[in-house]
Amino acid sequence: MQLRNRAAYGFLAPYLLIFAAFWIWPIISSFMMSFQNTRINPWVFSPGANWGRLFTDPAFYNALKNTMIILVIQVPVMITLATVMAVLLNSPLLKARGLFRFAFFAPVVVGEVAYAAVFRLMFNLDFGIINKLLNSVGIASISWFSDASAAMALLIIAVTWRWAGYNTIIILAGLQSIPGDVYEAATLDRVSKLRQFIYITLPLLKPIILFCVVLSIIGSMQLFTEPMLITNRGGPGGGTETLGLFLYRQGFTSLNFGYASAIAYTMAALAILISLLNLWVGRDAK
Amino acid sequence: MKSQSRSTLIRSLSLHAVLIPLALVWLFPLWMMFVFATMPDYGIFSPQIELLPSTHFIENVSNLQADTDFIRALIISIGVAITYTVLSVLLTSMAGWALARYSFVGKSLVIAIILGTITLPYFVVVIPQFIMVAREFKMANTWIALIVPPLFNSLGVLFMRQAFSMMPVELFDAARVEGVKEWQIFLRIALPLARPTMAALAIILFLASWNNYLWPLLINSRPGMMTAPVALGTLIGLTKVSWGGIMAGAVLLTAPILVIFILLQRHFIAGIAAGAVK
Amino acid sequence: MAELSLKNVGKRFGSYEIIRNASLEVADGEFVVFVGPSGCGKSTLLRMIAGLEPITDGEISIGDTVVNNVEPADRGIAMVFQSYALYPHMTVEENLAFGLRMTGNPKADTERRVQRVADILQIKELMKRRPKQLSGGQRQRVAIGRAIVREPRVFLFDEPLSNLDAELRVQMRVEISRLHKELGTTMIYVTHDQTEAMTLANKIVVLRSGNIEQIGAPLDLYDNPANQFVAGFVGSPKMNFMSAEIVAADGENVTLTLVNQGNVQLTLPLKNPPPSIGDKVTLGVRPEHFAKAGEGIADLTIKVDVAEHLGNTSYIYANVAGGEQLIIEREESRNENIRDTLTIAIKSSHALLFDSDGNRLR
Repeated sequence: MQLRNRAAYGFLAPYLLIFAAFWIWPIISSFMMSFQNTRINPWVFSPGANWGRLFTDPAFYNALKNTMIILVIQVPVMITLATVMAVLLNSPLLKARGLFRFAFFAPVVVGEVAYAAVFRLMFNLDFGIINKLLNSVGIASISWFSDASAAMALLIIAVTWRWAGYNTIIILAGLQSIPGDVYEAATLDRVSKLRQFIYITLPLLKPIILFCVVLSIIGSMQLFTEPMLITNRGGPGGGTETLGLFLYRQGFTSLNFGYASAIAYTMAALAILISLLNLWVGRDAK
Repeated sequence: MKSQSRSTLIRSLSLHAVLIPLALVWLFPLWMMFVFATMPDYGIFSPQIELLPSTHFIENVSNLQADTDFIRALIISIGVAITYTVLSVLLTSMAGWALARYSFVGKSLVIAIILGTITLPYFVVVIPQFIMVAREFKMANTWIALIVPPLFNSLGVLFMRQAFSMMPVELFDAARVEGVKEWQIFLRIALPLARPTMAALAIILFLASWNNYLWPLLINSRPGMMTAPVALGTLIGLTKVSWGGIMAGAVLLTAPILVIFILLQRHFIAGIAAGAVK
Repeated sequence: MAELSLKNVGKRFGSYEIIRNASLEVADGEFVVFVGPSGCGKSTLLRMIAGLEPITDGEISIGDTVVNNVEPADRGIAMVFQSYALYPHMTVEENLAFGLRMTGNPKADTERRVQRVADILQIKELMKRRPKQLSGGQRQRVAIGRAIVREPRVFLFDEPLSNLDAELRVQMRVEISRLHKELGTTMIYVTHDQTEAMTLANKIVVLRSGNIEQIGAPLDLYDNPANQFVAGFVGSPKMNFMSAEIVAADGENVTLTLVNQGNVQLTLPLKNPPPSIGDKVTLGVRPEHFAKAGEGIADLTIKVDVAEHLGNTSYIYANVAGGEQLIIEREESRNENIRDTLTIAIKSSHALLFDSDGNRLR
């Protein structure tokens, strides 16, 4: 190794220090904690205390079920919407492009707390603008916060509003990296626009859409602020409690760190599974 | 020729027929945020459909200030976001430079671990982080607690690494031949050339810090040391609270970043799109 | 005493050898050109001298110090890169002064040196501009200036003219030559262009796939190439190679038959070591070394394929059997046409002979 390459360690050191202290150690630490009973002092090794409890805890299954429902509905809806938005925004026929981009991208910068507050007001049973608008076209008010399915729908709507633009930006960047002459060649070959989209655009976008899907799944899996603030701590009666919120209550309300760590590692296992699935789907394409 | 321009017109019209309503739906919550922030509470809770702003913004801000010390929280948020952004851009640039330019023992391991953390749920690390900072270091409710633990950032390092490795190597060789020290090459040549990338990264990091909710909620929950999102969050769900005030707070949180977004849209989009550049 | 010397220098990546056993002595003030086809290792060898690439075997010394483990900056060298490698965010002046400033050179001295370079290269009016605002030739001049400012013992040039257009290349070539005379400093110059090598060098080093094939003065290489590769690489248009077979050898002379030229036979004086009868050999004759019919040792009859009349000289291209092409330069005539038949003679004095491995026999 050349002498100058030692300089690399100098440049890396501060970053790695933070990394080791606040990521590597915690990763190990929470793994160990998940096998410890942390409700007694001092903590003792007792795998059953957390993992045993986890698999028999109806609250855990409820949170897992809610998270999965959100994932399965929200991610496909949002990615489809984001792809459509990206394709439309990319059209050369579009007028006032900047305005449309602003409309779809602006939610990306809005903080979770701010938009949670707005959605709470907008969807209020009696005074919310959404119910008022529904009433004005003859639809009865929906109890967005006291009906579990409606509350779930509200969460999905909120998260989709907040994150669709984010994915649109990524997909749009992907679209713009496809060379235009591919489409020119296809047009000369009399391939219709729809077929161009299906046979050229989608296959070329596949890796980017997969990337968005994985990011979105992992993001939605950790959903916390929205059920905490919009549906009032997973209400009604745990109807919108997600894994993230369940973990927060166990770890930081009940201060049962061991149990919370076991929940965290369950999420990690799901994330790894999804990443592997993505690798497998992605490899298939090549 | 004629039929072609007609079909173009039809396509253009249908494009806008889809996009305009969609854009209005997407803008609606933001619009309502500004409308609510200017309404008195009795307006927000009136049975009429109110879609236009009123004039009670200042009043709402003072209501908010009565509910929680929001101005102080804003100042903390600004300070934290700026400090965090500067430190994080510096750290990730240095690390990205090391990973782009040098070959050293353990390099591929470091890259593999950094890549691995992208998909790792944050909840896996947040519990020990909390125990370490709050219980072992007894540093809850401090600036350091807010700024330092979130400094690790994997996408930023990969982003900077990409920028540095796209620069021509001859540039740095030339400087080496001239006897310029490695850290001078980094500071005087690499960093100035990476300015656009750093700008994009800085904006994304600033946004992340500004909007960060979970970590500040856990670690700085004492009144007077809360960031603005946390302070605002404590009001949501309370009964005796001014909703106009909360909305004014939401606007105060959103408006500055929205202005930055409009002004620096290009960098913003570059930063987010870089997430896909692996 | 040699200013620069390489002793059995080598570089390997695992079992793959990029440079093999390179030895070279460069005297103070010499202009040495490394030339060879792309991928021959010439740029790598230069970067090894600069210290930008570590070496795995042998010894490099500059002056009388072995510099194997000396940092590039401390080797007393300056380098001009193919892409110029100007710092895009600095003005010309800052580019010139940057290295000196960073290494703590006294301010007044830095200014003096920068001024001197600006004078030498006539780039005074460019000092406040940035690289983006300069033409290719101007950038090249600044890049050379940045090397001069360092007042090095050895200049290293890595294909500095390859990004310029043809006309500018000739102009800069002349300028580099003038600069060498003015500064009198040792220069090592890498190029794939043999014309640059011939015009600039005191000494040419011909490389092929990591090996030094020959070292010598330009005209020595031209007149006395060590092997078929050097013979073919140096000179433009290229030397003609004709396949031949030995039919007789008596220790004094050999007789060969040109298998693709209607089995024309010719006899050349050749002593040691005498090739055996039946050996496949190659006869090499430069385009300008043909004579009028009857004035050489053998006459060839060829059919003109393409005739290029350049005014001062003419090149006749003829395709013959076996895919061989002959190029003949004729100064005295300019009226050959396509499909004409032409008879020319091979002169004994300038005919070279190579064995089947490309080694020179004569």
